[in-house]
Amino acid sequence: MKKLVWVLFVSSLAFGQTANTIVRRGPRDASQMTDRAAARFLDQATWGATPALIAALEQLGIDNWLAAQFAAPTSDLPDQAILTSTGQSNNNLTPVVGAFFANTVNGQDQLRQRVAFILSQMWVVSQVSVHPAYAFPPYWRIFRDNAFGNWSDIIKAVTLSPAMGTYLNMANNNKANPANGSAANENYARELMQLFTLGLNVLNSNGTPALDSNNNPIPTYNQAQVTSLAKVMTGWTYPTAPGATAKTNNPSYYFGQMFAVESEHDTTAKSIFNNVTVPAGQTAEQDLDTVIAALMQQPTMAPFVSKQLIQHMVTSNPSTGYVYRVADVFSGTQGNMQAVITAILTDPEARAGDDPNAPANPSFGHLREPILFMTDMVRGLNGTVTSANSLDNLTSELNQNLFNPPTVFSYFSPLNQVSAGLYGPEFQIYSTQTAADRADIVNTAIYGKLDSTTTLNLTPFVQLAGNVNSLLNYIGYVFLHSGMSSSLQQAAAQAANAQTTPTAKAQAALYAVLTSSEYQVIQ
Amino acid sequence: MMTRRGLIRAGAAAVGSLALRPFGLLPALAQSGSNYRALVCIFLFGGNDSNNTIIPMDDVNYPAYTSIRQSLALPTSELTPTVYSTSNAPYAFHGKLPEIASMFSSKELAVVANVGSLVQPLTRAQYQAQQAPVPLNLFSHADQQQQWQTSIAQGNGPTGWGGRVADYIESQNFNSSKFPVFFSVAGNAELGTGATTTPVSLSPGGSLQLAGFSSSAASQARFSAMNNLLTLDSGALLAQAANATLANSISDATSLDQALAKGTKLKTAFPDTVLGLQLQQVAQVIQVASLLGMQRQIFFCSLGGFDTHAGELEGHNALYPQFSQAASAFYSATQELGVTENVTTFTESDFSRTFQPTTTDGTDHGWGSHHMVFGGAVQGGQIFGTFPTFELGGPNDTDTRGRWIPTISIDQYGATLASWFGVPDTALPTVFPNFPNFGSQKIGFLG
Repeated sequence: MKKLVWVLFVSSLAFGQTANTIVRRGPRDASQMTDRAAARFLDQATWGATPALIAALEQLGIDNWLAAQFAAPTSDLPDQAILTSTGQSNNNLTPVVGAFFANTVNGQDQLRQRVAFILSQMWVVSQVSVHPAYAFPPYWRIFRDNAFGNWSDIIKAVTLSPAMGTYLNMANNNKANPANGSAANENYARELMQLFTLGLNVLNSNGTPALDSNNNPIPTYNQAQVTSLAKVMTGWTYPTAPGATAKTNNPSYYFGQMFAVESEHDTTAKSIFNNVTVPAGQTAEQDLDTVIAALMQQPTMAPFVSKQLIQHMVTSNPSTGYVYRVADVFSGTQGNMQAVITAILTDPEARAGDDPNAPANPSFGHLREPILFMTDMVRGLNGTVTSANSLDNLTSELNQNLFNPPTVFSYFSPLNQVSAGLYGPEFQIYSTQTAADRADIVNTAIYGKLDSTTTLNLTPFVQLAGNVNSLLNYIGYVFLHSGMSSSLQQAAAQAANAQTTPTAKAQAALYAVLTSSEYQVIQ
Repeated sequence: MMTRRGLIRAGAAAVGSLALRPFGLLPALAQSGSNYRALVCIFLFGGNDSNNTIIPMDDVNYPAYTSIRQSLALPTSELTPTVYSTSNAPYAFHGKLPEIASMFSSKELAVVANVGSLVQPLTRAQYQAQQAPVPLNLFSHADQQQQWQTSIAQGNGPTGWGGRVADYIESQNFNSSKFPVFFSVAGNAELGTGATTTPVSLSPGGSLQLAGFSSSAASQARFSAMNNLLTLDSGALLAQAANATLANSISDATSLDQALAKGTKLKTAFPDTVLGLQLQQVAQVIQVASLLGMQRQIFFCSLGGFDTHAGELEGHNALYPQFSQAASAFYSATQELGVTENVTTFTESDFSRTFQPTTTDGTDHGWGSHHMVFGGAVQGGQIFGTFPTFELGGPNDTDTRGRWIPTISIDQYGATLASWFGVPDTALPTVFPNFPNFGSQKIGFLG
């Protein structure tokens, strides 16, 4: 497939030059990547392809581009004041979510940010019950800093995070108290296994459920083991705030890590998942390390985690072979995230569609979740986004309110099915209401203003609108991996040709494309 | 935030995939009248600790309750005044549920005790010896939420019991239009997924009308291009699914907007809360049901935050007033609309919670739960079923923490509601496949 040098064209516009012609040339020798291949890859690995990113990837090739991303300077979210000026708890996350969206457009560490956001959807903490804004930048940094690190480090860092300590009540989870008949809180113990590491059922290495002799799935743990793991997780409290005196049960404080209070740790022996014994007499941290080591030995964890990562990045319905290959890297590298992410993005199943003549895979791809829809659209429309943006208001309308997922199951479940056997996690928040709202957000972006500070620049599209075919080629290059279907071309041309001015033609074509399922479902 | 202001377009969407609904034509003079019936589900997400929703106040149970629940036990000062069931047994509701207690006293509300997911009737001995089938993935939020909505304890989705009721209603042409039977004001819910029908979802105060279209030729060309695309079968299954949802939205938008525009503002004041606004929207749709051609509707509302592993007393003190006030306002609205006999509202929730507290002043995931049903057709002021024995390790406990084995199944609870709604006994096993495992015994709360 021929490349179109849109980059030169667009950058010439930026310098106020006139681009009268579109130069065509052959594939770069360096990588042999087509525009289609580059844009598809970027739709899986970043917040959205742009002409500049496509050019960079084509120049570097996938391996070098990944290496550059692994080393790229990291974006940050701003720390927030603990109290408001009037001494109340500062629960205003607006500056943090604003910075998050600005980073998606301005940050160089695109892959790191994407992976960090995915991890934050797998290890959920929500402002629904963790109110102070200052809890969130440190929590998010766990995922930013470990996005290319090791899975076991993520387990430990999250477990000892005071934000998670509040969210799933591991903070101040004292050992059972016979005097008042209470028992250790099971919340973190259960969700650590069910949601974060093992899942409910034992999996084969290709992600399918292992079955017992009666063809029934095999639970990864039973209720008694949840109760035991709850005992393991006793004896941790919040970090001591500067100037405060450490107490057995500190009040909430969200900088730093929780620390162990051995007097509230249950030191009896516990039998946990897979009948692993946590020996009696260990400290709280020794118990935790025993559990993490045992988790890393569970063969189920590699396919459980790998499949979810694939679903977030590439496809809702990966083949068993795809899951197997990624899980194999996960277990072979003991959870090396850099290796796992590379395996996901370079897998033949992820890359198959790079070839326009590859046989169609009907269940391939995934619906853009609202935040990914927003970032891709804004980036593709040359958005200027500062941290004062309020794009989160719009994604919230689509049921993805950043740092506010409704439950520990996040915004949508990896188990959500569109129809029997067809998974579509993101469809859990795609309803008749949010489908209409999504189209209306496209309308606002194209015909109005997304918010008072964000500007989009349709000029490169308008400049081409004198020739609708050129316009559609360019829209396809930016938003559809240079692979717009003939039906969509026909519909978008119908919409554009009914308009009189170049601006209206560009707007009509963009609306048709950006509201189409061909765009909304990344393939 | 965006405003929903869409200019009303002239033409109707022409959509034609099997997954799509026919366009909902607005019937000229449809009359719902006294034959109208609506079911309204209020799902309490997170697992409501119903052990603190309603408490038996007799000399055996209340002392057992206070002795086991300790710091979570509500003293009489934090309970409503004692109410008496029609069989003269004393109960009290959580003190933040005064409107609910009042509806119970005036026989508009009934309590169904210890309901939960079951494959078949189950004893503690059978459970502990693993001698009988039990629901898939007990004590897991996701699974138990799903089973409350599918009424299939074995965990085989993907349709909900409300959706299967809607399938039946559609197949029998109860309604004079093809507007969806299942109407959610709380987002997608598996309860409403049918085999042949799909739900409509509307945010409270929202609209499905697309913004930015006018009747100009240029605008209509854009709109028509969009609709043409929705009929396209590219072979990509997820794109097809996205097309179907947007096409359904477009086809439902006009009839819904036109009907709601003809409604009048309700005199009943609803609280400005998540659940209050949802139930207000439901009442407004019920008001114009005849304009939508609807004789049968199922509504879905929800309130989250019930996963009270820690700080349960504070949690309930925040959540229960919202529930109680919104429920009461909704009942008042049905009085205002003259449809108290036609609307039955019921609760669902993931599970109840351990009778034994945690060290963090909360409770962990349990199983059987007490539920509330209200409306003019309800045999109110009664407790249906029996409360568990308040004893850790006792006859109703799964283990030693007070996770009650249900004594009424979701199938029985749902079949009772569906039967009142119009599903005949012969069709109940289709909607509730496990119902025969319970002797096809309905619970008498709807007579």
